[in-house]
Amino acid sequence: MNAVHRPSEILETLERIGVTVAVTVPDGWLGEFLVRIEEAPWITLVRATHEEEALAISCGARLGGARTALVIQNVGLLSMGAGMVCLAQRYQFPLPILASYRGTPADPVFYHVPKGRATEPVLRSLGLGYAVADGDRPIGPQVEQAATYAEEASCPFVLLLGREDVQW
Amino acid sequence: MVTTREAYFRAMADTLPPETLVVTSLGNASYLWAVVRDRPENFYVEDAMGLALPLALGLAVARPDRRVVVVEGDGGLLMHMGGLITAGAAAPANLTVLLIQNGVHAASGGQALTNAELDFAALGRAAGLKGARNIETAGVLGPALAEALEGPGPTLLALATAPDPEVVVPPAGFDPVATKRRFQDAIEAPRYVPTLFGGGRLEERRR
Repeated sequence: MNAVHRPSEILETLERIGVTVAVTVPDGWLGEFLVRIEEAPWITLVRATHEEEALAISCGARLGGARTALVIQNVGLLSMGAGMVCLAQRYQFPLPILASYRGTPADPVFYHVPKGRATEPVLRSLGLGYAVADGDRPIGPQVEQAATYAEEASCPFVLLLGREDVQW
Repeated sequence: MVTTREAYFRAMADTLPPETLVVTSLGNASYLWAVVRDRPENFYVEDAMGLALPLALGLAVARPDRRVVVVEGDGGLLMHMGGLITAGAAAPANLTVLLIQNGVHAASGGQALTNAELDFAALGRAAGLKGARNIETAGVLGPALAEALEGPGPTLLALATAPDPEVVVPPAGFDPVATKRRFQDAIEAPRYVPTLFGGGRLEERRR
């Protein structure tokens, strides 16, 4: 049995690697997680109205020299395509994207299924690097690896997170 | 007579301190600003319509020590109106929005907006951008912009102008990555320093 609280481990990792700005659009799994980010003194949370807007805010914060994390539901990956290719990829912004992975067989909410089916094919078609979080491994190193990949490849990188990773 | 975009930009150039960070949206907002005042502290957003404001918002959050001015168009703002709401909610004191209100999608040839009659200053105030106001002449813009830069923001100045669909030729072609690096060098943004086998960190630049 894994006794480590994985959402806490993600927060601890973000702090340790120097992420100081998180830009978010809520999701049912992310609700309390975002509250915890908002309460943390070492990071600024920006609540955006739409994921493509959130992506651009992240680009701007990174342009200014802040290490950022974009925290969204996977449906946002489907709706941010234009900003992804025209801004984040064109200008080569290193952005780790932490996305709750809704619509997998492990997700009990039936209407997320179409998003789950579309997510990885869309990421591949956009040329985005991504990984599905491994629930059998500690989540902290997986977050750090995603952030490192984004920086060293100068591009966004998506880590798709399960319920146990982000639901507080 | 309607004030031209260029007249507004000349007033901006006369008013903005050199260290101001300026983000410009696609089309003539970027091309003409590059003609009027090309500086490393300019970040030109080519394409990515409607995302100049949220990008500037993120920049303002990351750099509270610098004044950030964003030039957005009414068409772009309509495309991502939520950005105005987020700017008002996040409320970075160092952000000023200059909205080119020409009533058309100028960058794509002058097509009509969905609604060209909106009172953007009122929308801005409703979103929390204190002191948002409509401007009709370059002579008024200078003092209004100076006041905006002095006071706590965010605020918005909506600049009424006529469509200018003819594309201005910038002094040099825009290379997006070069634009980004030039900007980050100018503001001495922390640089990512990799280490072997991962674990790199952002490091402050040595002055």
